[in-house]
Amino acid sequence: MSAILVVLGFFAGLLGALTGIGGGVLLSPLLVLYFGIPLRQAIGTSLVAVITTSAASSSIHLQRHTTDIRLGMTLELFTSFGAAVTAYLVGYFNRNTLEGLFASFLLYSAVTILARKGKVKVKDQEESAELENDGQTIAPYEPQRYPLGMGASLLAGGLSGLLGIGGGPIKVPVMYLFMNVPLNVATATSNFMIGVTAAASAFVYYRRGDILVHIAATMAVGVFCGSFLGARLAPRIHSKYVVGLLVAVMLYLSGHLFVHLYLGWRP
Amino acid sequence: METLSERREPGFDKAVALVLRIGAFAGFFVMLAGLIDGAFVAGRIPLEIEKFGVLIMLATPVVRVFVAGVLFFREKDWRYGMISLGLLVILLLGSVFGIGEH
Repeated sequence: MSAILVVLGFFAGLLGALTGIGGGVLLSPLLVLYFGIPLRQAIGTSLVAVITTSAASSSIHLQRHTTDIRLGMTLELFTSFGAAVTAYLVGYFNRNTLEGLFASFLLYSAVTILARKGKVKVKDQEESAELENDGQTIAPYEPQRYPLGMGASLLAGGLSGLLGIGGGPIKVPVMYLFMNVPLNVATATSNFMIGVTAAASAFVYYRRGDILVHIAATMAVGVFCGSFLGARLAPRIHSKYVVGLLVAVMLYLSGHLFVHLYLGWRP
Repeated sequence: METLSERREPGFDKAVALVLRIGAFAGFFVMLAGLIDGAFVAGRIPLEIEKFGVLIMLATPVVRVFVAGVLFFREKDWRYGMISLGLLVILLLGSVFGIGEH
């Protein structure tokens, strides 16, 4: 069982580091479905994996200067606050409604990203020129629509606290689609942020004993290696594959949530 | 509002990266040591080592916020210094005082 956990952690870390969503989203349903771990413990345990992905991959993204620390920390304020507040008020929310909203948002973002990607063919050339330079140069940009980004971060943090689904799948599309941030900066900055968002609730789970230490440690060893590889590979992989991967993960998650809502059982 | 992306300094990125790298590597090696120990020794000691590794990992983002905050204040960047401080308060409310426990 340990070997399977290390391998699962490795792929979750790889995917998380490449797309900026943090592997925890994929790990917690797997822990519940295939290892028979209760949801709350599964969430707590995958939070360790999320933090590991964030720390390992951010240290590399930062050295490449693709992380917008100021943008990240501004938005973190809202994700952490959202996570703290909803963790406190968790009993008052209708989780089915939230899961439905979350699934709809993922579906909407996936479709929007696909539609946009079809239109901007010229930009691809600029991006590949950038990639030859090991991702060092970033086309100048200015983050836009801060209030929207902050609101979305509050929502992302809130969902993170309620569902244990890291805010990554919301932050990346919001930064990329609405705030005018380039995709490689959006994924790097999201990777940077998820560690703090996860830490805001991870200590609460730890104090409650909802982090299964042995499973968390076994997975984290795999996650660590996968995240380093993912972050190293990031500039060498063309952004169209990252977009494809991101869209695939978002479609998978929204399908997953819709199925659970429909069938009435949860991950 | 100033452009955030224009104000990115390489040295700053490097210092924050170092904190994350130390935390990630330390947590990784301690957890790995616990797992290897657990393969040979039965009992509580391997689990305690793993627990220590997990705690190092959990503490890493908090230390990162603290270090970034110190750097912002040293640059006299008050706005982002205060943002870091606010972030630290939220994190400490959750971890130390157990706000959000249910």
